[in-house]
Amino acid sequence: MSKHKISLRVNRQRYEVEVKANQTLLRLLREDLNLTGTKCACERGDCGNCTILLDGNPIKSCLVLAVEADGREVTTIEGVAKEGHLTPIQQAFIKHGALQCGFCTPAFILAAEALLKRNPNPTEEEIKEGIGGILCRCTGYRQIIDAILDISKSSEK
Amino acid sequence: MKKYSYVGKEVDRIDAFEKVTGTATYTADIKLPGMLYVKLVKSPHAHARIVKIDTTEAEGLYGVRAILIGKEIPQRFGIYLQDKTMLAQEKVRHVGEPVVAVAADTEEIAERSVELIKVEYEELPAVLDQRDALKKDAPLVHENLHEYKHAPFIFPEPHTNIANHFKIRKGDIEAGFKEADVIVENEFRQPQVQHVPMETHCSIGQWLPNGQINVWTSAQSPFAVRQLLSIGFGVPIHKINVQVPFLGGGFGGKAGLHWEPLVVFLSKKTGGRPVKLTMTREEEFTTAAVRQGLYARVKTGVKRDGKITAEEIEFVWDTGPYADYSVNVGRASGYSCTGPYEIPNLKGDSLTVYTNHPYGTAFRGFGHVPFHWAIERQMDLVAQEIEMDPVEFRLKNAATPGRITATGEKLREDCGRVDECIKAVAKELAWGEKVERRGNKLRGKGIAALWKAPAMPANTSSSAVLKLNEDGTVTLLVATSEMGQGTHTALAQMVAEELRIPMEKVKAVTSQKTDYVPYTWQTVASRSSFMDGNAVLRAVSDAKDKIKDTAAALLGVSKDHLVIGEGKVSFRDDPDKCVSLTDVATCGTLPSGGGIKGPILGYGAYTAEGLTNLDPETGQGYPALKWTFGAQGMEIEVDTETGDIRVLKAVTALDVGKALNPKLIKSQIYGAIIQGLGPALSEQYVYNEKGAVINNNLTDYKILRAPDIPDEFVPILIENPQRNAPYGARGIGEPVLISITPALGNAIYDATGVNFYDLPLSREKIWLGLKQKEER
Amino acid sequence: MPLPEFDYLRPKSVGELTDLLVEHENDAKIFAGGTDLLVLMRDRIVRPKYLIDIKGIKELHELSHNEGGLRIGAAVTLNQLIESDVVKKRFRALWDAAKSMADPTLRNRATLVGNICNASPASDTAPALLVLDAEVEVVSKEGERAIPIQEFFVWVKRTSLKPGELVKAVRIRNPSEGTKSGYLKWGRTRGEDLAVVGVAALVRNSGKKLVRIALSSVAPTPLLVKEVEKILEKCGSVEEQIERAVSIVTEKISPITDVRGGKEYRLHMAGVLTRRILRQLLGVI
Repeated sequence: MSKHKISLRVNRQRYEVEVKANQTLLRLLREDLNLTGTKCACERGDCGNCTILLDGNPIKSCLVLAVEADGREVTTIEGVAKEGHLTPIQQAFIKHGALQCGFCTPAFILAAEALLKRNPNPTEEEIKEGIGGILCRCTGYRQIIDAILDISKSSEK
Repeated sequence: MKKYSYVGKEVDRIDAFEKVTGTATYTADIKLPGMLYVKLVKSPHAHARIVKIDTTEAEGLYGVRAILIGKEIPQRFGIYLQDKTMLAQEKVRHVGEPVVAVAADTEEIAERSVELIKVEYEELPAVLDQRDALKKDAPLVHENLHEYKHAPFIFPEPHTNIANHFKIRKGDIEAGFKEADVIVENEFRQPQVQHVPMETHCSIGQWLPNGQINVWTSAQSPFAVRQLLSIGFGVPIHKINVQVPFLGGGFGGKAGLHWEPLVVFLSKKTGGRPVKLTMTREEEFTTAAVRQGLYARVKTGVKRDGKITAEEIEFVWDTGPYADYSVNVGRASGYSCTGPYEIPNLKGDSLTVYTNHPYGTAFRGFGHVPFHWAIERQMDLVAQEIEMDPVEFRLKNAATPGRITATGEKLREDCGRVDECIKAVAKELAWGEKVERRGNKLRGKGIAALWKAPAMPANTSSSAVLKLNEDGTVTLLVATSEMGQGTHTALAQMVAEELRIPMEKVKAVTSQKTDYVPYTWQTVASRSSFMDGNAVLRAVSDAKDKIKDTAAALLGVSKDHLVIGEGKVSFRDDPDKCVSLTDVATCGTLPSGGGIKGPILGYGAYTAEGLTNLDPETGQGYPALKWTFGAQGMEIEVDTETGDIRVLKAVTALDVGKALNPKLIKSQIYGAIIQGLGPALSEQYVYNEKGAVINNNLTDYKILRAPDIPDEFVPILIENPQRNAPYGARGIGEPVLISITPALGNAIYDATGVNFYDLPLSREKIWLGLKQKEER
Repeated sequence: MPLPEFDYLRPKSVGELTDLLVEHENDAKIFAGGTDLLVLMRDRIVRPKYLIDIKGIKELHELSHNEGGLRIGAAVTLNQLIESDVVKKRFRALWDAAKSMADPTLRNRATLVGNICNASPASDTAPALLVLDAEVEVVSKEGERAIPIQEFFVWVKRTSLKPGELVKAVRIRNPSEGTKSGYLKWGRTRGEDLAVVGVAALVRNSGKKLVRIALSSVAPTPLLVKEVEKILEKCGSVEEQIERAVSIVTEKISPITDVRGGKEYRLHMAGVLTRRILRQLLGVI
């Protein structure tokens, strides 16, 4: 099986690693880089708990090969808060009770950050579509949507 | 009304920072030195004899460190009935049952080795319906049922497929039916469904050569895991340490014992290396446990004025081949089978039955969700029959204070008010106001009531420890598993309230290690804020007492005259005469420099009071520590052209006693509405004709997504305090889920005039039902 | 569940790519978005020895439009299609179809060409391409050829591509003046789902009148119902013409019962969606 040396940036840090062809980006992050905030819940593209940002775009990391991340910029949940300062979205999630067991929370936060960057004033329908690829079993989604609506209405981003 | 600083406030969850930053640890995130990874060879058959297992090719693969087959691990486990081995022995009993386990350096090597293992089977006739399993000539799932050890309140019937038969008999059923003006009998069905926690089951086991067993596991019951490992392997409890970090959802599926013995035993075979098993999503659906399927028959005798005179209830639970919690699910559903009503003459039989489907375990609600579908649909069907308004009919029979439950318990004055809940939901739905039909769209409203008590042994206990730290902060140790419900936050609020210190100074430890944390029974049954809460209050009281002892000695006053608050212990008559908590934390220090008393540790225990076992023939007794009553309602719009249901409004009213943290309660209400609508609208196991689940993935086992949610969620928290509860608060974790499906079913009748009896109510099923009604 | 082992190749040109296809024949699979392929590999349904990543070839990322029409390169993602104004305005059935698929994160990776090469009977883009009368640009070591979309789908998960061939792009001529198209999809829930049934339609109610209807999930391949082409030329009110189209469609299709739906319901919903899309496109309230 082929192995590939790649250089990528994760959360603004450069990593030089050798990956196997069949290694997914999800497994590279969790197993080799020890960034376990990104979760594996189905590994088939159904649940979205593995969502990260690749060059700013939200994608399901279980369906991206690690080798494809060569030369690219990855953002995981660990890279959202800078030096422990929570972003407005993270704060809104806490305020609105938009998390319970927390397993899907990293995925929703990244999807929300990307959504609002692209569309700072989404309608509720647009939010539902934007986060529709991520499954949650605890919250019922209502408070997650409320948190995103709250931020989209406020002036700080 | 007492004013509180923390209790009753919408305080942020104490674990929120970790969870929003991805720094919260779950079991699958844990890496240990020398750790190995497990993959399983699983049965492709529902029922088959194992003829031959050939592991020779796999043994030669580099990186394979241990292979385990059934006969090496014959110990039987089971929380109420010991019927399950970790790996199949002579035969397999469901598709997905593990047959061989491999531990290897990497998941890939383990997976490849699984592909190299060959197992030969001889298929046996399978039993794929729980009622077929009761027939005389049905294949037996457990021929040796009579040999299995079981709890004294469980009644398996040897040489049958009955794992438990719970009986409840109250009054005179024949006289009751004679008294009735009308008798209505119906059958209801609810298939097996799954918890679908986002975090699949994951356990790491280590059995060291010195006999120490260490476990890291995603589990709701660390002490049960510890005890069952001890019983199963004959290892004394003090040599077993079970550690539980955050759980990515439990919902009952992680209660009790699951795969811990397997990883522990595999570890032993490798000489003590840690061994990790993380279930794939597919394994979560078919190898891990599910919620029992239910067939229910309800026969109700009623007078024209709406008073129910008699009820005959039959529940037949499909638990697959292992009893797990299902025998107690059958029992708890049995003693609550009437729903929140007073039924003077009752005959109930709740059978937990073996089949060759995936096996059943606890699921949020413990049987109450499936059986309330039956009971609460039946209430509406009876109301239709006697042409009475369904709300009025429920109120007439409601289990209000002073009335007698199915087990003969007279409901106390402070038991909670189901009537208030029903009325609150009816008001919110503008009950009685009909909405006009618009083209193909029909609107309707439905209500269903609910009740539940914690289903637990009569002698269940909790304990808690509070440590005062040197700087006046406190650390609370309570063995509740944190799986999203946020109990630790509510407990921290209680500590802050009682000690009159800010929340920031209270740490409630959210990950558990059985060596360090005091015993509590399990994180199930909606019992934690109630029972662990009572234990915490006693621990705080004990700590305060000891703090006052030391302070009294230092201040030279009687400890009865001391007051604790704002980090100080002060003399009641002269607040300047005080010491701070920091002055007493490790001991008191005399002016001379010597020390007195010692480190402050508060201990509190709470054991369920007044409960009894139930009579094996009549089910009479006192099983309920508390009842949580509630009602749920739906306003919907049905598109008759497509069968699509749009939920306009979903209402949940609960008599919570006291809302310790309204934000946390609302969170559970919202989440449960979606988790309840899933099996109502789209979730079900689909089997092929050989008993294999064909939709064991999230593409085809459809749980709801953001676009599926109701237009409006309305939570209503009613507060009639419970006398024996902390601050009067009852448990809500399960009650929030219980009556969503019948509220929907009743709303569908209101909208369309069509009654449905079987779940799920998919678009297709609704359309077919409407079409059949037209064709009739 | 880790993926099975394979070698990863990333050619830089179409020439290099076709060489690799010849060299590895049946041992290689084309890798674009991977949203179908990697799942099949994870489930051990396919186990190619080589994955040929086409995303390193610049020209395959091109989405272009001129008087000739629309050209969608093999590596163009569904989100790229959705973000294109011209696709939304003039090739609406394709826009609707792309928008109905999965969710935005998967659409950042999934490609149109990957979707049609996967050739699932439930493909959403396929009915849209059928009514838009698209053409598939195919390239191999031997040269290039064009396959009309109507000849592209052969059976469940089988296309008319020969070994060594690769789809380079999909071409759609500009629909003539007055043409409208759209796609409606029905699933089991409001949230994302594979189609229980999907209906694409294209209508031109002036000049040379035309109706095209194609469906997903009603046959082993996405199905174009040719018999409705001249429905608008027949006499009767628009409503009557629509009903006639619905009758023809429901007569011509034979859906099956599977894990996602029963055949009776599928047949019914095919009729409902056909009626709804035609009413929408023909401006009937």
